[in-house]
Amino acid sequence: MIKFGPGNLRIPRFEKPVYVVAGGLTDFRKKHPEKNTSQLCTEALRMAVEENDLKVDPEQFRRMVNWVVYSQFADHFGDQLLAAAKIHDYLGFDPLGNIEVKTGGATGGSAVLAAAQAVASGYADCVPVVGWERMDEVTTKVGNSYIASAACKDFESELGWMYAAYYALMAQRYQYENNVPHETLARIAVKNRLYAYYSPFSQNPGKYTVEDVLKNEIVAHPLTFLECCVMSVGAAVLIVADEETAHKLTDKPVQLKAICGGSHTLRTADRRHMPILLLPNETEATYKDYFGKHRQDWPGFSSFLAARMAAYLAYHMAGIKDPVEDLDLLETHDAFTISDVQTYEDIGLRPYGRGREFIDSGEAYFEGKLPTNLSGGLIGTMHAVGATGIFQMVELLWQLQGKYDKFHGDPKMWTRYGKQKPADWKSLQAKNPKRGCAISHAGTGSHVTCAILEKP
Amino acid sequence: MDWPTTALEVFSEEPLVVKNPKTWYHIHSYGGWGKFFQGLQQQKLLAARCTNPKCKEKRLWLPPRADCPDCWHAMEWVEAPQVGTIYTHSVVTYPGELFKLPPGTPLISVEIDGVCTKLMSWLKEGKPKFGMKIKAVFNAKRPTHTILDLAWVPA
Repeated sequence: MIKFGPGNLRIPRFEKPVYVVAGGLTDFRKKHPEKNTSQLCTEALRMAVEENDLKVDPEQFRRMVNWVVYSQFADHFGDQLLAAAKIHDYLGFDPLGNIEVKTGGATGGSAVLAAAQAVASGYADCVPVVGWERMDEVTTKVGNSYIASAACKDFESELGWMYAAYYALMAQRYQYENNVPHETLARIAVKNRLYAYYSPFSQNPGKYTVEDVLKNEIVAHPLTFLECCVMSVGAAVLIVADEETAHKLTDKPVQLKAICGGSHTLRTADRRHMPILLLPNETEATYKDYFGKHRQDWPGFSSFLAARMAAYLAYHMAGIKDPVEDLDLLETHDAFTISDVQTYEDIGLRPYGRGREFIDSGEAYFEGKLPTNLSGGLIGTMHAVGATGIFQMVELLWQLQGKYDKFHGDPKMWTRYGKQKPADWKSLQAKNPKRGCAISHAGTGSHVTCAILEKP
Repeated sequence: MDWPTTALEVFSEEPLVVKNPKTWYHIHSYGGWGKFFQGLQQQKLLAARCTNPKCKEKRLWLPPRADCPDCWHAMEWVEAPQVGTIYTHSVVTYPGELFKLPPGTPLISVEIDGVCTKLMSWLKEGKPKFGMKIKAVFNAKRPTHTILDLAWVPA
């Protein structure tokens, strides 16, 4: 049983407001043999500094930076320990201080959290967050083995050497408890791959049908290939600043109202039953009929306590009362279709057991009430792990600044990556969005961050 | 001085990509958990319980822990029941490198009475079902010295 003491649920606060001002990405591919990692990071930084309508030139910007945060998931993949020192040098930031952050799949979110903490405390006022992953040095099978070494190597890694297997065990239990039609799960994969189709950055876009997903080969029962995220190479950069610096840099700063982290056991096995931690839009009555024949415990294997914890803190910090009402955009860590449905419940889009309604209602779609993963997400666009949480916030920033078309619709963006803009391309720019949320997630829910970005 | 004689294999000429071979091993210390793996060879399922009389939780942990996560006090070894039920199950079709089980092996999570965790393991015989009663079997003859030395069969 986890029992919270008075200090455990303290709502975090920033001593100074924190802003995000600019973002940059590379395209994301299975392999990038023509560019080394430092080139990819430089490319993303260059886009952030040169293509975000900043009011200073690149040289002036360089003179403003006072701290840098690096984000890479696995030294295994890059096969270069202390890679951040090398990237920092190649980006020309020596001898400024820097730190590298590592929290598995949530590394990107945690890196932005570390930058926000530096800015909020006054330690720094202009902080590039630079994330990447280089997953093309080993075969896919070895890559999956490396990722599975981020499960417990003593008691769980051996049982699959494959993260999809650990999620499949959760998926099966979730389905036993909640019986969501596979068609609903497939629609998430169809949606995100379609949104990736409109993005020049995307690795696995496509116009698929629900039937394509259902008939697709199974990786780990019940998950098919099309329901799983991609393994990518690429980089992402987000510039975090205090209020004064943000206004010096751009006319369109976006406030990072909150970014909070939660955690839970690395092994799903060790998740002990506890009372459901209620979000602002829930009461005890919400769950009076929740437990029964098939549901005996919470969080069990169906819910991510780390996501619930991160959302609890971030919603209170940012004043979110009801996420579907108060948010205009959402980026989830859709590593697998099933974990996306679980996350809808953890972050309060629907009560536990009813996550499927968020998809079935149409709310998750473009022009729906809370469009989700307009970036194409991890299933359609990218999962270069260290870059992922940063990529989510870059896409949110551009949406909130009204720049979706600038970065996704310009034919030159497509030719830059050797692609042709589809003739049936359409804009996924949300209409005057005010507030966006990004969920960065590790392991089978070992670390989760929840970020709330808001247009002032 | 001569040039080195060991050359990297060229994977691609343009752009230039080379292969870095890796052939060494890691020495892995189980430390305080070693007794659990040794126990499997004696057909024992060793779990851990806190010895602190003041600890309010005192749960039975399997996988075992050397120290109690609720009070940080040392744990003692307790034999867990060798029967349980299937909490969830799956089959991995495309496992990662290093996977040692036969293709199609059902992976399971096991609920055991009195144990606060749901141990991940594998089903050696039979077709898995939710709530199915199972019993532990042990690989004592040619142990792998991994968690794979424990498996389950229908009870």
